[in-house]
Amino acid sequence: MARGRRHWPVHFALALISALMLVPFYWVLKTSLTGENIFSYPPSLLPHEANPFYFVDVWYAIPFLRYLVNSVVVSIMVVVANVFLNAMAGYALTRDFPGKAATIMLFLSCMMIPFQVTIIPAYLITAKLHLLNSYFGMALPLMSTIICIFIFKAAFEAIPHSLVEAARIDGVPDWQIMFRLIMPLTKPAIATNVILSFIWSWNSFLWPLVVVRDVNMQTLPLGLSRFLSVVEDTTGALYAFCVMVLVPGLLIFLLAQKEFIKGLTSGATKG
Amino acid sequence: MVERVAERMTATPPDPAARPAFWARRRSRELGLIWLFLLPSLVIFLLYRIIPLVWNVVLSLEFWSPYKPARFAGLYQYQNMLFYDDAFWKVVANTLIFMASAPVGIALALGVALLVNQQIRGRGVYRTIVFMSYPVMTVAVGIIWQWLYNEKVGLINYVLISFGIIPKGIPFLESFQWALPAVILASLWQVIGFYMIILLTGLQSIPPNLYEAASIDGASAGQSFWRITVPLLKPSLFLCFVVGIINSFNAFDLIFVMTGGGPGHATDLLVTYIYSTAFKLGHFDYAAAMTVANFVLFVGLAFVANRLAGGEAGAVRRSA
Repeated sequence: MARGRRHWPVHFALALISALMLVPFYWVLKTSLTGENIFSYPPSLLPHEANPFYFVDVWYAIPFLRYLVNSVVVSIMVVVANVFLNAMAGYALTRDFPGKAATIMLFLSCMMIPFQVTIIPAYLITAKLHLLNSYFGMALPLMSTIICIFIFKAAFEAIPHSLVEAARIDGVPDWQIMFRLIMPLTKPAIATNVILSFIWSWNSFLWPLVVVRDVNMQTLPLGLSRFLSVVEDTTGALYAFCVMVLVPGLLIFLLAQKEFIKGLTSGATKG
Repeated sequence: MVERVAERMTATPPDPAARPAFWARRRSRELGLIWLFLLPSLVIFLLYRIIPLVWNVVLSLEFWSPYKPARFAGLYQYQNMLFYDDAFWKVVANTLIFMASAPVGIALALGVALLVNQQIRGRGVYRTIVFMSYPVMTVAVGIIWQWLYNEKVGLINYVLISFGIIPKGIPFLESFQWALPAVILASLWQVIGFYMIILLTGLQSIPPNLYEAASIDGASAGQSFWRITVPLLKPSLFLCFVVGIINSFNAFDLIFVMTGGGPGHATDLLVTYIYSTAFKLGHFDYAAAMTVANFVLFVGLAFVANRLAGGEAGAVRRSA
């Protein structure tokens, strides 16, 4: 009990910090729910007459479903490609072959190239491949991630070597060793990869902004930013849209928090 | 599958020397497969990392636009950038200021990390709440903060006025003076949870017996913080700085939504300026030159940060 009493300043400080971190979330939710005049002053801190009308407005004002489908399709392509391509590359890097050191160096130096500084040629390349305004064009640059390749490599190396050796001596082809023996044993790495690549693709903004001009191909973040410039006086609807966009990402994060944090920190602190 | 393999684990392997041709064939098939496995990722990195890096340099040495054939320009774009474009220097300064905000965020995050590292009830909940702003969509974050900063009905002005700190609302995002700090604050709000998680992982890897030994030797809390915690956190701190630098590259979404780089160029960073130069004005050649400058700046800063951290980045990379 004596220990517990000493903790109240810590709790107090943390509660204050948490409140500060939560205010923007609260404010957007409140604004999206209140039927009152949004431009009234002073702004009321509690929602009066909460109602879901703005959410209905959003549904009819913009092709929300279309944006959602676009976002989901691109994210699924990115996630599936990431799991397979990163696992394959990770597996290859656990084997000895001529040029291995050079390949690893190449991957590591690619990590030093932020995607933002490749944006103009990346756009020109995508245009040359005739992939502008397409799902594949949006997904392609995100389809393999260096951090996740190394997460897979580490996970594969943790598998007892004798198991893989035995399978090889048994004459099991490599691709079968990979997909039927090793992959099922590295579920945490797969989960990490799925979550990270999903969040990256779901939130990605600059790249879709550059490659997509067609209104029908826009993803949720694009739709959201476009909504801002097109519709000006429906503030309530804008914030309802924000909530609708935030919820899926937040839900996935809350459900898979452990894997998500593990992925970020293992990618970050241990390479 | 696993059972069958486990059964054979005890079997003796056939002698490779006994059937050289078979094993050589097998080896080359294996090599083929390894490269086949690497190929897709290599192609993606080649297309979207390596080639763009080279192409940027080529573009920056040309006069080029989508409607005209390329002409060699020498260093014209660089000359223009360094000597005649005032906006460029303004934007570079903004980018550096944005990066300089990282230490502030890291210091705050370290405070939070120390708090949630205590043995208290509900620390998991606090961690989740602080971290929650990181994985959410930045475009939405920008829109929310834009609303919070609103001159007339924004929460921030309302609070400041009610406490009598300011007499009337400040148009944060429309003022030359306040726009950049305002955007930086929003960005810190989003990234602070990430710094916290990294620092927390670092804190948890410090052996607790060091603190015990220090307290037996009569060290104060301050002493053990500066002599044990900070030095052992160096790799994590370094990593946070790198993330801070990268974050100032990623701030595109936030700025695009909140201010569009304005007013004037008050909140333009290199990334947003490059975007508008290339994709709004169509000056791809000039934007490419700025991209090269951007990359040089990034590598330079990463190098300096690495030096300051005593080459810790090398350790991080080696263990990969």
